[in-house]
Amino acid sequence: MSAGPDRSGPPAPGPLRPFRVPPIHRMRLDSGLPVSVVQVPRLPVVTAAFVFRGAGESAVDVERAGLPSLTADALEGGTTRRSGTALAEALEAAGADASVAAGWDTTTASVSCLTDRWAEGLDLLAEMVLAPAFPDGEVDRSRNQALARIRQRSKDPSALAADRSAALFYADGEPYGRPLRGTEASVRPLDRSALRAFADEAYRPEGAALVVAGDVDADEVREVADGVLAGWSGGAVVPAPPEGRARFEERTVHVIHRPGSVQSELRLGHPGAPRTTPDHPALVVANAVLGGTFGSRLNMNLRETRGFTYGVRSQFAFRRGPGPFTVSTAVDTDVTAEAVREALGEVLRFVADGPTDDEVRSARDYIAGVFPLQLETTGRIAGRVAQLMVYGLPDDAWTRYRDDIRAVDRAGAHEAFRRWVAPERLTVVVVGDAEAVTPALEALDVGPVTVHDR
Amino acid sequence: MTKPDAGLGFPMERHTLGNGLRVVAAPDPSFPVVAINLWYGVGSRDERPGRTGFAHLFEHMMFQGSAHVEKNGHFEHVERAGGSLNGSTWYDRTNYYETLPSHHLDLGLWLEADRMGFMLDAMTQEKLDNQRDVVKNEKRQRYDNQPYGDWDEHVQRLTWPEDHPYHHTVIGSMEDLDAASLDDVAEFFRTYYVPNNAVLTVAGDADPRRVFEAAEHWFGDIPAGAAPPPVPGRIDAGPVLGATPRADLSRDVPLPRLIVALRIPPYTDPRFDAVDMAAQILGQGRGSRLYRSLVREKRVARAASTYALPLVTGGSMMLAFVTGYPETDLAELEAALGDELDSMADVTDAEVERGRVLAEAREVRGLESMAQRADVLSMYTTVFDDPGRLNDAVTRIRAVDTDDVRAVSRSFFGADNRAVVAYRPSGDAS
Repeated sequence: MSAGPDRSGPPAPGPLRPFRVPPIHRMRLDSGLPVSVVQVPRLPVVTAAFVFRGAGESAVDVERAGLPSLTADALEGGTTRRSGTALAEALEAAGADASVAAGWDTTTASVSCLTDRWAEGLDLLAEMVLAPAFPDGEVDRSRNQALARIRQRSKDPSALAADRSAALFYADGEPYGRPLRGTEASVRPLDRSALRAFADEAYRPEGAALVVAGDVDADEVREVADGVLAGWSGGAVVPAPPEGRARFEERTVHVIHRPGSVQSELRLGHPGAPRTTPDHPALVVANAVLGGTFGSRLNMNLRETRGFTYGVRSQFAFRRGPGPFTVSTAVDTDVTAEAVREALGEVLRFVADGPTDDEVRSARDYIAGVFPLQLETTGRIAGRVAQLMVYGLPDDAWTRYRDDIRAVDRAGAHEAFRRWVAPERLTVVVVGDAEAVTPALEALDVGPVTVHDR
Repeated sequence: MTKPDAGLGFPMERHTLGNGLRVVAAPDPSFPVVAINLWYGVGSRDERPGRTGFAHLFEHMMFQGSAHVEKNGHFEHVERAGGSLNGSTWYDRTNYYETLPSHHLDLGLWLEADRMGFMLDAMTQEKLDNQRDVVKNEKRQRYDNQPYGDWDEHVQRLTWPEDHPYHHTVIGSMEDLDAASLDDVAEFFRTYYVPNNAVLTVAGDADPRRVFEAAEHWFGDIPAGAAPPPVPGRIDAGPVLGATPRADLSRDVPLPRLIVALRIPPYTDPRFDAVDMAAQILGQGRGSRLYRSLVREKRVARAASTYALPLVTGGSMMLAFVTGYPETDLAELEAALGDELDSMADVTDAEVERGRVLAEAREVRGLESMAQRADVLSMYTTVFDDPGRLNDAVTRIRAVDTDDVRAVSRSFFGADNRAVVAYRPSGDAS
């Protein structure tokens, strides 16, 4: 064998292979429902999704938090044509996996099938969403499941940290401050008539959209969907996005006492930026550098240098309104205060000095490069196309995304980040053993420390 | 209605390098992405007593650099190229993978070859100590600080004899992680991380000839090692438990939960497909028996599911997870689950037909992701020495009939083959 390959450095890439963002074919059905079709003939698979913009969790008052989620759950209880079991069996017999779930901005009802059965899958999904029966027994059962799930969250340290930090980040009355699926108090009174009324109001063609991605063309989608959705009409109210006011104007530290915890769950954050901000690409790039990738500053420091944690990340939760900016991690109890110091230090340094040119270049390459990977499956394509509609983004946002990312420079990333993140207003939340962690957190002196019961 | 051709027809070619590295190329130019996937035939089953958790700790060390790659260079290079990457450790294998824009194929192969050939050149005590801390925090985060976090420890202890390789967990114990040394790293590397104990798959936008040339270029001069030693311990544990071992645990958990493990034939056994189908009919999705009975009708469970794990070392496990409500009586829940396991012996033709259609659809949809496709090809090559099994998957699903499902249910779902782990909420500890 000869001398062997040159391993001294990374090999040069080959010629760039073309990637064309698949075109979105848009049309409107007889019912007024806007439809987006992305034809992807790679495998005989189709994903179809209804997106209801008037049915997100932020659309309901705090007293009814969890109503969109419970309504979505209870759709599996059966339709005016068949029982819950018969519906489940019909979906299985078509090889279809259906799911309905409410998020902050929408309720999404989707189904994935093989191409030869997709029309049947869509028909069953439409029956489930447009002709629900909400039998009393099934509604009771779904509600008990939801209440049990809420109870589970209270014992799961990471869920507890998410729920308690949201409540501390946002002012009273702000939807984003409550648990997505509601509280025991808000869910317990929800009954059949509440669900019925919500479904009637919210699952309407105006304010909604249908996205179909997969091995199917636009003409066929129109024919099938017009048949399935004949007679559907009306409009849902799409509410204004939440304002997202913060609870605190200064930095504060909160310990949620969970006795005997061997780790502390940490969250540092405050209300962030809405998806619709023109700063979006710059914030995505900036966040990748700070805590959005494995090689980010936060992860290199807290994990790879200090071994405090299995992983740490920062994130802007982009929603119609200002979702939270959060640094999250779980650390060994003994190093809780040091981890807070390091995480806060990284944010402070980032706000003061910004990213380097090299970091920005690297982050841009990463985000623009992985974009095609995010369009690999029909489910992910459908999700991505649905976002355009939910956030009211222009048609070309999809094709322009990589160019927008590549146009972000060091100054742009830095300025955008400073506009939306203020280290002096960060709320620090620690879910852990208060007796073990509080003295060191007080000694850290980054803000007044309050201990809360779990 | 006529069924589409059962053969999936994914093109693929294989080639074995002189050093024994098996290479699979599965070209698909529909998308400018390549998925690179390596399976090494080593997992927690290969760990010696006193070194539990080591295979997984070792996987972390594989990201700490090699002769020509800096610490964390794998992440840096791949992320900068617009790719994603990771690795995972399980009972029978350890895998490493990256998905990259296809013009970066050589980058991925360079990185993988460097750690396969030259990982020890870059090892230091400092890196080992750092990753030991990271893994201990992974254990705390995913197991010790989680409600029900010790379930697999109990399940494995009850289902397998002490000298069986599945008796201990993949994450291992803190004491054993503390005991791991640089010498252990070197020995493990030389024993198991040899080209003749690995499979390399490249799926996606790359021509097979080009894949084989590049594999030869980057991996060809890495010397073969000795054949890895047999899996330590006693592999043959017997086909069923022959008892109902149990662990009744009172813990600070939110809801009562049962986890029941059944010993089943290994993934390589011809009966495995029927067990897999039985697990789907019994506990996967809202049309399953457990959902209909325990969740929808009796309302004793908030959730119920069953899975057959594809393990290969002497046997495998089917697991049932059933979570009750605060007021649910665990004995009642266990009896209800037992009844459903018993009655699988009378599964109907209609259920099996529905199960087949659903399994086929899920099989095909699971292959949408190139990374998933590559991982499945590495698995078939490692376990069966036959990547072509990917294209027969639907045929195998269709071959399972009602009698097969009934037969495995009778053989393996009985009361003499259930290891029971029961969590009772201890009341609020705060």
